[in-house]
Order: sequence, then C-alpha cells, then structure tokens
Amino acid sequence: MTTTATPVTPTSSSPAPAYNPKSESTTAKRIKSAIFHIIALALVAMVLYPALWMITSAFKPNSEIGGANNALWSNNFSFDNFATAMEGIGGVSTLTFFTNSLILAVGAVVGTVLSASISAYAFARINFPGRGLFFGMMIATLLLPFHVVIIPQYIVFQQLGLVDTYVPLLIGKFLAADAFFVFLMVQFMRGLPAELDEAARIDGAGHVRIFGSIMLPLMKPALISTSIFSFIWSWNDFLGPLLYLNTPEKYPLPLALRLFVDQTQSSDYGAMIAMSVLALLPVLVFFLVFQRYIVEGVSTQGLKG
Amino acid sequence: MTQSPTLSRRTASAPSQPRKSRRRGADARAGYTFLLPWLLGFIALTVGPMISSLYLSFTNYNLFDAPKWIGFDNYTTLFQDERFLQSVGVTLQYVVFGTPLKLAAALAIAMLLNSKRKGQGFYRSAFYAPSLIGASVSIAIVWKAMFGDSGPVDQGLSFFGINLGGWVGNPNMTMGMMILLTVWQFGAPMVIFLAGLKQIPTDLYEAASMDGAGPVRKFMNITWPMLSPVIFFNLLMETIHAFQIFASAYIISNGEGGPAGSTLFYTLYLYLRGFSDFRMGYASAMAWLLVIVVGIITLIFFKTSKSWVHYSGDAK
Amino acid sequence: MIDRRKFLTTVALGTASAAFLSACGQSSSSGQAGTADKPVTITYTWWGNDDRAERTRKAIALFESKNPDIKVNGNFSDFAGYWQKRATEAAGGGLPDVMQWDLSYLRDYGQRNQLLDLGTVKINTDAFEKSLLPSGQIRGKTYGIPTSTNAFAVYYDPAKLASLGIAEPDGSWNYKEFNAFLAEVGAKGNGTLFGGTDYTGIWWNFNIWLRQNNIKAFTDEGKLGFSKDDLKKWWNLTADLRGTGAIVGEDKATQLLPKSPFGSNVTATEVTWDNFMAGYLADSGAKELKLVPVPSDDQDNLGLFLKPSMLMVASAKTKYKDAAARFIDFMVNDPEVGQIFKTSRGVPASKTQRDGTTFEGTDKLVVDYEKSIEKYLKDAPEPPIVGFGTLESTFKRVTQDLNYGKLTVDGAVDAWFKEADDLIKQNA
Repeated sequence: MTTTATPVTPTSSSPAPAYNPKSESTTAKRIKSAIFHIIALALVAMVLYPALWMITSAFKPNSEIGGANNALWSNNFSFDNFATAMEGIGGVSTLTFFTNSLILAVGAVVGTVLSASISAYAFARINFPGRGLFFGMMIATLLLPFHVVIIPQYIVFQQLGLVDTYVPLLIGKFLAADAFFVFLMVQFMRGLPAELDEAARIDGAGHVRIFGSIMLPLMKPALISTSIFSFIWSWNDFLGPLLYLNTPEKYPLPLALRLFVDQTQSSDYGAMIAMSVLALLPVLVFFLVFQRYIVEGVSTQGLKG
Repeated sequence: MTQSPTLSRRTASAPSQPRKSRRRGADARAGYTFLLPWLLGFIALTVGPMISSLYLSFTNYNLFDAPKWIGFDNYTTLFQDERFLQSVGVTLQYVVFGTPLKLAAALAIAMLLNSKRKGQGFYRSAFYAPSLIGASVSIAIVWKAMFGDSGPVDQGLSFFGINLGGWVGNPNMTMGMMILLTVWQFGAPMVIFLAGLKQIPTDLYEAASMDGAGPVRKFMNITWPMLSPVIFFNLLMETIHAFQIFASAYIISNGEGGPAGSTLFYTLYLYLRGFSDFRMGYASAMAWLLVIVVGIITLIFFKTSKSWVHYSGDAK
Repeated sequence: MIDRRKFLTTVALGTASAAFLSACGQSSSSGQAGTADKPVTITYTWWGNDDRAERTRKAIALFESKNPDIKVNGNFSDFAGYWQKRATEAAGGGLPDVMQWDLSYLRDYGQRNQLLDLGTVKINTDAFEKSLLPSGQIRGKTYGIPTSTNAFAVYYDPAKLASLGIAEPDGSWNYKEFNAFLAEVGAKGNGTLFGGTDYTGIWWNFNIWLRQNNIKAFTDEGKLGFSKDDLKKWWNLTADLRGTGAIVGEDKATQLLPKSPFGSNVTATEVTWDNFMAGYLADSGAKELKLVPVPSDDQDNLGLFLKPSMLMVASAKTKYKDAAARFIDFMVNDPEVGQIFKTSRGVPASKTQRDGTTFEGTDKLVVDYEKSIEKYLKDAPEPPIVGFGTLESTFKRVTQDLNYGKLTVDGAVDAWFKEADDLIKQNA
C-alpha cells in the first residue's frame, strides 16, 4: 500500500493572521501580473526563435537557406516556396495529402481515446485476476524498439492482404496498442478518489455506469491530452505510411514532405520548409482549440470524510 | 477493496462474505470485457512480432535467406563492438542529462501557466510549438541553423565572451546540441503536467490558505503529492523515450550518427545494423538487450515509486 | 543480340493467344499477358524528388498510351526511405514488379535471388556501350539494365578561381599538381574559400586510383583485391593537406549538411559524379561550373569508367515478366523518354535515347564531359560485393574520423579493414 504524506485536510485552526486574498491591493496585483507576463514573454521569445527562423526561411529562395546562411532577414522574400509546395507531387495535389493526413489523424484520435480509456479503467478500477500480469506486459510493450517488430508486423498484414490500405495504420489505435496512452489514463484515474466509485456502487451502479458517468467526465484533462498527442503523433507518422502505402494518392503529408529533399538530386529545402509550415498550422490550431478544455474537473467537495 | 497494480502477481485474499465473492466474479467478467480490445491487439499484433524478434536475436538473419541459428553469438559480439559501446555511452549521456532537465523545465513552466491569468491559450501553444516542430523533418535544417558557426547560439554566447564556434560540426558539442533539442521540446510533458495540475481539487488549496499555509507549504503538501502519479508517469515515459531516441538523431545526423559517432544513439546504430547492413539478427539482439536494461530500470522505478507516489484512487 | 522484329512478333502472338484463351472462357489470371480490354497491371517504384516524380508520371503515361494492354501503378519515396521499404518488402516476399535500383545494392538483392534474371526476358541492349553492361551483371547473369551513366569528374567554379587570380585547370594533372592546386586556393582563399573536400574519403575515387595502378578492387571470389599498404598510400595522398586551407575542415563541412561545401560556395572544387551538376548549380546560385577529368599519375590511364547512375530491375517473383520487360525496355531505350528526363537521371545510357534528345544548358555540359573522356573509358567494374553499402559508408566515416584527428592513417586503415574483413566473413 502506498505510504506517503497525505494532503493537508482542513482542521479547526487557531486564529493565526490569516491570508486574506481580498486584502491584496490592485496595484500589487498589477505588478505581479506584469512580472508574470514579462518573464513569460521572454521565455516565449527564446523558445520560439527557431520557429521564427523556420517561418522566415519558408519565404527565402533556396540558395539562402541552410549551408553557411542563418540570417533571419533576406532581401528576396517571396511566396515561391509555398507555390511549389501547393503544387503537389507527381500529379497528387497537396490538398489530397492534407486530407489523407486528416483522415488518419482523426481515426487515430477516436480509436485511441476509446480503447485506451476502457483499458485504463480495467487496470485502474477493476480488480480481476491477472491484472498485475497484464499490466506488466503492457508496460513491457513500451520497451521494445519498433525497428525490430516492423518486419514481422508487416508480414502479418501482408499475409492478410492489407498492404496499401489504411487498416494497418489504424487498427492498432482501436486496440489500445499504444501503451503510452493507456498508462497515462491509468495514472490519471488512480488520482481520482476511490470514494467516488464506492458512492456510485452503493447507489447500485455497475462498472459501465461508473466508467461512463463518473470517470469519463472527471478525466477531461487526460482525454484532451490523449487526443492532442495521438493527433500529433499520427499527423507526423512517417514510417507506418512509408511501409504500408503504395499508392501516392493515399500518402499523408510526412511522406510528401520528405520528397522535396532527396539526397541524390537537387533538394528544394525552401519548398520542404514551406510545406512543413503549412503542415504545422492545422496541428497548432487543433492544439489551440482543445487546450482550453484542460480545465479543472468537477469539484469533489462533499465527498470526503 | 481495490488494489494498486504492480508488476508482480498478487494473490487474492480469501473472501470473508458471500457478497464479496459475487462481486469478484462480476469483477473478473467486467475486467476482461473492458480489456478485450487491448487483449486482442496484444495477441494479434504485438506478441507474435515480439517473440519472433526475440528468436531472431539468436540468429543470423539478412532479411532474404532463412534465419540461421547461432545461439548467443550476437550478444557476445556486441560487447566487443566498439561502435556498440560508443552508442551506449552516447545514449546514457543523453538520458542522464537530458531527461531531468526536460522534466524540470516542463514542471516549472506548467506551474507558471497554471493560473487564471489572461493569455493562457497563447502561452501554452507557444511553449508547445517546439514539440510540433521537433517531430518534423525540417528540424534538421532549423536546429543546425541555430547551432552553426555564427548562428544565434554562437552569437549569443560570444556576447558573454564564450567563443565556442559552431556546435554542429564539433564532436564535443553535438551532445549538448541534442540535449538542448530535447529540453526545447518540454512542451509535451508540460501539457501533461498541466492536465495533472488541473485535476487537483481547488478546495484543497482554499482549505490550506485558511490554515495559513504559504506557497511553499502548499506545494509540498498538496501539489506534489496530488501530482505525483503524473510526475511518475512523465519521469518513466521520458526516460524510456530518451533511451529510444531515433527520429531526431537520424534526421540531424543524416542517418550517420556523426560527426565522429558523437550522435550515434543506440536505436540509430540498431537501425543501421538491421536495415543498412542487413544484419537483422544483430539488431534484434541489440533491441532485446535494451529491453532488459530499460526493463530493469522500469522495475526499479515502480518499486521505489511506492515511497513517494500517492494515489487517491486507491483505498486507504 | 535480341532481334527486334522477332521480339515484336512474339509479343503480338502472345497477346493474341491470351485474347483467344480469354475469349474461350478460360481465366487469364495466370497473369502472363493482358489485352487492351483487360490490361495487366504492374507496379513500378522509384526514388527521387518532386521533379523526378513529375517526369516519371509523364513517361508512364506515354508508355500506357503506346501499350494499352499494360497499366503501370507508380509509387515513389525519398532515397533513404526507399531502401527501408524494399528491405521490408523483400523480407515479406513481395517486391514491386519493376524498380529503379542503385548499384550499391545490386549484389545484395541479386545474389540472394530477389531480382529477376533479365536474360530470361527480351530487352534490347544493342544501343548500349559494351563496356557498361558488365556493371549490371553478376556471375554472367544480368540483373539490372543501366538507365543512365555518370562518370567521375573534378568540378570547379571559374568565377571563384578568377577572383583569386588562379588559372583554370585543363584536367591533365597528376596528384602532386592537383594537391598543389588545392593548396594554392587555400592559401589565397584566406579562410573564406577552401580548395576542396578531402577527396580520399570517397570510395569511388579510391577505386579509380586503384584502376590507375592496375589493381582490382574486388576479386572474383568476393574478397578484397587490394592490401592495407595500398589503402595507406591512398590516404597519405592528402596527409599534407589536412588541417590546411587546401581542405575545408570537417567541422565546417558537417555544419553545411545536407548541402555540400561546393554547393554552399565554401570550396572552389569538388571531386564527384558528373550528374550532381544540376544540384550544385541550384544550391550555389553560380552562373557557371565546369568539369575536368580527375588527376592521374599516368595520363594514358585515367581509370575512368561509366558507372550506372541507376538501373532498372525486376522482382524475381513478378507474375508479369513480359510486361515488366517491355516497360524496362521502354524506359531505357525510347527517345521520347530521353526527352522527358534529359540528364536528370544521368546521361542516358542507350544511344537511341541520347540521339533522340536535345540537350541544353546544364545537360549539355554533362553530356559533353562524358564525350570528352570517351577515349579513356574502360570496362565498368562488376557490381561491388555484397554488403558494399556498409563498406562505402564506413570508408567515409573513417576518413571523417581521420580528419577530426581521432585516428592516424594507420589506425584508419586498420579500422576499415577490420570492418571489411568482418563483413566478408559474415556474407561468405
């Protein structure tokens, strides 16, 4: 059993000079706010400088990118690189690549959120024989470098005739193959008090009710994080599509991106960076929209004691 | 009573009431039902390849001809292989120095952003953006531009009188560059910390305020214990990921692990041996050696976690 | 050689009989031949950038219009990903029907029965240089047909040389003169412009030097044909230049990756394959770059040969041998294909393709260079031994370590030989 410092619970305390938030003056508040923003913005500037470099490079001609050149400014800014990037490759339009990436990413999010959450519930909240063993095996799947399993996995899908479809890329997501997300949800679930389950059970709820009505709503931050990460991992996945897709019309963005830079021919770094920037935008927007749901869960007041 | 999952089998205690045994049966059924997708995936997609890669580690396999059994030869050759030993050293440096720095940055910034101040969305996205760029192919050009001769880093340091020149071509500085690259992408664990922070009930903080607790007491007695499951998660995952780093190493070193092997990370070397040299048996042996080492470290993490990780969800 | 008329007749007969059989109600899913109504579909895969993808698409469309009974499904990836995918497909037993191939991997796959013996199908090689064909053959069997060639050359930037007041080279130099030339550039370049990179780090350059000294790189049994002393002599050629301005420092060169020092306007020369011309012009933004032959201590034996810049191969397990053969024949011989690709794959290997193409600008430079060295060309070497890819990359890596000062020449020779011996033992 865990033996750690349990959180401070309210006791009837002696009247020490209490900290009254309302007594802080608005000036003090404003100064604190200003300091916060100054520090935060300074950090942002440092952290985002490489991103800024990337964006300005997308507008530079090829001869000014990379090599000995790392200036931000150029006298030759233009939209040429973006035009090249939007032309597509080998008769397949860039829009097609975007759409394919989107299909794969949405599929990944749906599959992962569903399968990881129910698997995590089993590990975290249901006491069944073999739970410890299976949990250990699940963690073990994280330890093996993927390069040595891709060939046996490929052979499995090839024997099933599923090469050149999206099935090999998506089916794992629906079967909780990504232990990262299962483990993430397990940890979050174990942070929710057991009293919630007990209270619901007393009311006659079974596991399905507890999972759907109690766990899931309280897991919003974890579910959002899972969605964000699985979207991005799928969006950037290169190896899976490379191995399993043979028809260029099915290629997602990462495959197309790599084609702009081929070491055996002249490389179009400008177009590659331009396409990277374009590829980043949907993900950034996705993040911006969904991160605001990482908010406090329902207050658990009244359930303690 | 619910029990915390551990890596060892736990024997069930004898039921003392008939109601409990009925519930145990229902629990077993429910457990397996909820776990069904994972079990299916595990059996169909994961177990087979894992076992076959273990088998291959005891063979000579060039991908075209049938594997030839050679016993432990791959494993013994490994320890005499200079480049293997180099890759171990490179990877260990990266794990030991990169992971703690990254986690510290992630936690610090997450706490900074865990307030109701304006601009949360902007700041979160700004700090998360590096993780997005880091996964893209363009990271090679971007990062090299930062660390090249007379690049921003070089110029910044020169301002303080430190003249190191470009880091990219200097075998002594490339590890620093890779560590900074991973620390730069603290946004990912930061988001998870934020989510964890948000799950801490605010009434705990309010009660502590009424008791007269200052920010340090609040952190030690509320934040840290309540966040500990998430801290444990990030610590374990980042460590495992650091051991397995591949994509950025491959992209930045052009698939070569240079200069002078200074970026020859373990899985990069594994990949080169398996796919470029067509020695998949050797690569599989490397992979399983990694499984054993990281597995032991993981086990240690789990065992020691009992002393500092607090789970509200487990019965007291 | 292959009689074109007989070939066409056979194909016509084959098509007719297949049509007859299918009309009789028998399923033609034996897959040998198709008709315009029921075309056979073959897969073709290549590596390259978006420019090559566009050109290949045009070539495929042209082929399909001339051969309505065959459909070609094309797919492509970048160079690195290409080999990862091929290895995985081969392990799974399903390589595409026709593939673009690189010499470095010909023996790896060919000797292990992954590629079709092209001697069993009809492909017209009449228009090819006789000296070129052995490079696609292993133990007498043809596994690859070269699409195009490249030859080794020394590039230089005339504008840069002019700015330093150095005369343009004429290409008839020995190693001492070449080294002196590099040193002169380095001295006058004053730290901003260097002579070149360490040319002893490129395997093929070493191969040429061996040929200039009448040494074979590999024996027929697949072992090394040269000694440690030979390699030591080779790596000592630039011993005096390392660390001076004649050779750009390794740290600087690494920083410039993936661009080359020459393409980044940091060196005045580069020694490499002639089909990098287009890339260098684009990267450097230079108005003009020129090519001259490599140095040799024996001006009658330059050791030069035409190397296939890429080859066409077919999978040993393809169900559509004839269709594959027709497609390969089309891609290497058809003059219109030459017009589509110009020299983006290299100089076309087949004379019919060369003659049918008008070369301008960059393309013309490269074609002219290969014409100018024609009299020096000798037989291309057989495909390098199994595991060559590793040897080549080890060669480069060891030279890099040498330039970083991490190894002495002796140490470098020992290191490379250790790796090579280990590799040959593995693949014995």
